[in-house]
Amino acid sequence: MKVLIELIVSFASTVGFGLVTNVPRRSLLPAGITGSLAWVAYYLVLQVDNGLILPNFTAAIVIGILGNISAVMFRVPVNIIYVPSLVSLVPGGILYLGMRSFTLGNEIRTGQYMFNALTIAIALAVGFVVAEVIFYRIKPFLLRLLAKQRER
Amino acid sequence: MDQSISEDELIAVCGKVGKILLTSGAETSRVEGTVEYIGRAAHYDISCHATITALFVGVKNQTKTHLVKVRLGDFNLEKVDEINTMSRKFVTGQIDFAELKRTIDQIDKKVIDFTWPEKVFGAAMVSVAPMLLFKATWADLSLAFFVGIFGYLAAALSSPRIKTPYVAAGLGGFTVGFLAAVLQSLGIATNAGNIIVSALMPLVPGVAITNSFREIIDRNTISGVVRAVDALIIAGSIGAGVVLGVGLSGIIFHLIGGGL
Repeated sequence: MKVLIELIVSFASTVGFGLVTNVPRRSLLPAGITGSLAWVAYYLVLQVDNGLILPNFTAAIVIGILGNISAVMFRVPVNIIYVPSLVSLVPGGILYLGMRSFTLGNEIRTGQYMFNALTIAIALAVGFVVAEVIFYRIKPFLLRLLAKQRER
Repeated sequence: MDQSISEDELIAVCGKVGKILLTSGAETSRVEGTVEYIGRAAHYDISCHATITALFVGVKNQTKTHLVKVRLGDFNLEKVDEINTMSRKFVTGQIDFAELKRTIDQIDKKVIDFTWPEKVFGAAMVSVAPMLLFKATWADLSLAFFVGIFGYLAAALSSPRIKTPYVAAGLGGFTVGFLAAVLQSLGIATNAGNIIVSALMPLVPGVAITNSFREIIDRNTISGVVRAVDALIIAGSIGAGVVLGVGLSGIIFHLIGGGL
C-alpha cells in the first residue's frame, strides 16, 4: 500500500517537473513511468540499506536504463527523460538546507548537509555512467526488437 | 546541392543551433555532437567546442572561427527536442539546408511553452515531495501543494522583469518561507520546515547539480564546475530568501502579539 502511494506521488512529481521544464508532450508518460519506477527502486533499497549511496545509485541505474530505452523508442534526446525523472531523487532540498545553515552561521550543519548533497549527486552521476555501460550492451537487441515490430 | 552551402552560412547556422541547445539546458557533449553531425551531413569537417558560457564553431584546418556567447538559461527541453528532430531530418536528407536554416530561425524566435495553468499545476505537483511522504503530515503536504504554487509564481513572474541574477530565486524562497511561517504561526500547519523543503522542490537546483557532476565525469570540467557553482549560488539565494521570509513573519506576529 505504501509502495503504491510512493509510486503515485513520484509519478505526479515527475510529470509536474516535466511541465515546468517544457518537455515535449509525447515524452511526459515515459518520463513519468521512469521516474516513478526509479523512486520505488530507491524506496525499496532504502528499506534494506539505510544509507545515501546505495539507494541513489540503484535509482540512477534504473533511470539510466529505462531512460535510454524510452529515448530510443520515442525518439527523444535522453536528457529529456533524465531531467524530470531525477526531480524526486536529487539533493535540491538538502542543498537548500545547507545554504540556509550557512546563512544562519551554523558551520557544523552546513558541512553535514553539503557533504550529503555531494554524496547524493556523485552517487547519481556514477549510477548513470554504469547504466549507460549496461545499456550499450542491450542496445543491439533493443534495436533488433524495434525493427521487427515496425515491420509488422 | 552540396556546393550551394557556403562555409560561412553553415558556420552561422551551426552557431545558432549550438546556442539554442546550450541555453535550453542540453549537455555540452550533446551540443558538440549535434553541431558536428550537421557539419558532416553538409560535407564540411566542422569542429565545435562548447563550454557553458561560450561556443566555438569552425571548419578544421581553416582560420575562421565563429564565437557565440551564451548565458545560462532555464530548462526548455522541448526546444532541445525540436532541434534534435530537425538535425536528424537534415542528416537523413529529408530536408535541405535552406529548410533547416528557416526552421532553426523559427525555433529560435518561437516561444515554446506549456500554458500557465499547466505549468502552475506542474509546479504544484512537484511541491509534494515523495521524500517527505510519511515523514510530514498529510495536512502539511497538502499545504505545500498550494505554497509551492505561490513560490513558483513569484520566481517565474519576477525572473523576466528583474535583470539582476539570482534575485528571482531569492524571491521565490522568500514567498515560500513567509507563507509557511505564517501558516505555522496561525496554527494551521504543524511543521513549517517540512512545508518549506517540500514547496521549494520546483525552485531548488537539484537537477542542475546532478547534471554538473555528470558533466565533470564526462570530462567537461569547465561546464561542470560552472553549473555546480551556479547551482550553489541559486541554493544560497533561496536559503537567504527563506531566512528573510521566516524572519519577517516572525517580526509581524511579534508586533501583532505585542499590540493585543
